[in-house]
Amino acid sequence: MRNNRNAVIILILSPFFILMSMIASIMYGAKTIDFQTAWQAIVHYDFGNVDHVIIATGRIPRAIAAAVVGASLAAAGAIMQGVTRNYLASPSIMGVNDGSVFMITLAIVFMPHLTNSELIILSMIGSAFGAGLVYGFGSLFKDGLSPVRLAIIGTVIGTFLSSTATAVAMYFQVSQNITAWYSTKIQTVDPPMLYLSLPILGGGLLLAIAVSKAVTIASLGEETAIGLGQKTKWIKVISMLSVVCLTGVSVALVGKIGFVGLVVPHISRFLTGSDYRVIVPCAAFLGAAFLTLCDCLSRMVNFPFETPVGVVTSLIGVPFFLYLIRTKGGNRNAL
Amino acid sequence: MLYNQFIRFVLMITLFLFLTLVVFYLHVTNGVFDIPVKDAFKVILGMSSDDQQKLVMYQFRLPRIAVAALAGIGLAIAGTVVQGVTRNGLADPSILGINAGAGTSIVLFMFLFQFANKPFQLEQVSSILVMPLFGFVGGLFAAILIWMFSVKKGVLDMQRLILSGIAISSGFGALTLYISLKMNGHDYETAAAWLVGSIHQANWQYATGMLPWIIILGGIIMAKAHLLDYFQLEEASVIGIGIASTKEKTILLLCAIGIVSACVSVSGGIGFIGLLSPHISRRLVGLKHQYILPMSAVVGMFLLITADFVAKSVFQPIELPAGVVVSIIGIPYFLYLLSKTK
Repeated sequence: MRNNRNAVIILILSPFFILMSMIASIMYGAKTIDFQTAWQAIVHYDFGNVDHVIIATGRIPRAIAAAVVGASLAAAGAIMQGVTRNYLASPSIMGVNDGSVFMITLAIVFMPHLTNSELIILSMIGSAFGAGLVYGFGSLFKDGLSPVRLAIIGTVIGTFLSSTATAVAMYFQVSQNITAWYSTKIQTVDPPMLYLSLPILGGGLLLAIAVSKAVTIASLGEETAIGLGQKTKWIKVISMLSVVCLTGVSVALVGKIGFVGLVVPHISRFLTGSDYRVIVPCAAFLGAAFLTLCDCLSRMVNFPFETPVGVVTSLIGVPFFLYLIRTKGGNRNAL
Repeated sequence: MLYNQFIRFVLMITLFLFLTLVVFYLHVTNGVFDIPVKDAFKVILGMSSDDQQKLVMYQFRLPRIAVAALAGIGLAIAGTVVQGVTRNGLADPSILGINAGAGTSIVLFMFLFQFANKPFQLEQVSSILVMPLFGFVGGLFAAILIWMFSVKKGVLDMQRLILSGIAISSGFGALTLYISLKMNGHDYETAAAWLVGSIHQANWQYATGMLPWIIILGGIIMAKAHLLDYFQLEEASVIGIGIASTKEKTILLLCAIGIVSACVSVSGGIGFIGLLSPHISRRLVGLKHQYILPMSAVVGMFLLITADFVAKSVFQPIELPAGVVVSIIGIPYFLYLLSKTK
């Protein structure tokens, strides 16, 4: 009962919170623009007014991107944690982000004139590749899918992919471009790219919510799920598809942002209990609020310069990660 | 039995020294600028008058090989110590986040003093000596953090150790990224090349800067090698034999961190040497650390010189960072080890 009340509170309050953060994100930055002007830019857009141009082409797409990507990464993390029953599962630890970055680096180097949609597709293929590699090795090894093993395999394969990407980038002498590309992409969100990715991310989120009931059953354990008549293989395939949509497009849109998919689902589960039908939407809302806020923070930390938002999320996420390790250790079912 | 082991040790170490010599020969004679064998010997023995060959040999190839050899020795020794003390075959300074900690503080140092931009001067010599110290502080800080998070109720939990290592590495990685993006373009390229473990910018100053760390700390570790054998026993037995376990472990780990920092400050992010060499040498010479340590040092030297040679020759004339080559070889081996452990 109490948990449901928490869920209702989250679902009612967080849209307001997201809206507030987005307004803050639109108003503050290297140049502070007051609310009146921002509003004018939306209702009476004036091409000649510099402030209006900043709002329409820079700030609003960025705020929307932060919110949507936050929601996507958090939902993807929640689904991964449920399906693998692994409290450390998340896009950044399981090699999904690195796979996508690897693919994008290759794409930038070898095919510099890619269209946005091709970039998105490549990024999705990359994240599927990274995840497939990590899970493949995980299931090859004895006990390979336990939290610790999978985290180690994920980190090592992530290192492998990113060092290969680094080698390629250095070979073609574009390393700073690429580092800048995937750690500061959110500051220069490309509006056409954003419009292109919104439907895919929306589809991924819907898929995640649709599969969430089955994930709740899957999180009870493989045997129980089969006993309850669930087609576990299909559930895994569908949830994987949703994770690949969500994270692949996120990386193509804003670059590599870690720890959102690890931290937010835990908070959501802590607040709302163990039913993924509630956890997934709550995680999405909390994730949107979290990333929008981090994006605002990333402009304040080193004002007037911007800090990569991934650095801000890591600085919040790493202590949380350490806390999880400290309290849950190497236990397998520590959800 | 003991006698056999000793002979085996001597044989193996001679074999690997010989292999190292072969790679050394390949490394010296091949490259963008090929030097015939006869000339190479002449130059090394100081009998040549060809200035071009002298320049290539003394300013580019030899210092580079020297740095690769020293870094290989240092990382391998440190890896052996870390694996011995933690009794964990998967422990490696780079997996435990010590490299990342040292790396962050060295990038910070580069950012604060921006020495890459300055022409060669006395200041630079002193900064080469100070950089390992800076790295040591960072590596020590990382090690203490990891230790704090993985000890619970006085017991060191291995899984926690590795996980906190991963967490701390990514935290320091984020900091490094933050600092390196604040640098100007030229410094950034230097720092980026350094971070992925590229040693082609090596010079004699770097090599001599590393030498004292490896000789002194390596000597201390060698003198305490027999203790590493005892540490393979249960904790209670170690104390029962009368060894000040905590004190000795701390000394050994501090030495290892010192060596890693000195290596990292010169060669950057080269991981996995400290993982591979102890494993290979344990296979070759058995379980006695008095044998494993020197063997591991030689194997590490051989591996890194080979990796550096591969790095410079595959895509000639463009060079890959040696660290990338090492991780491309090292990661499959790591996964193999992971599949073997229970």
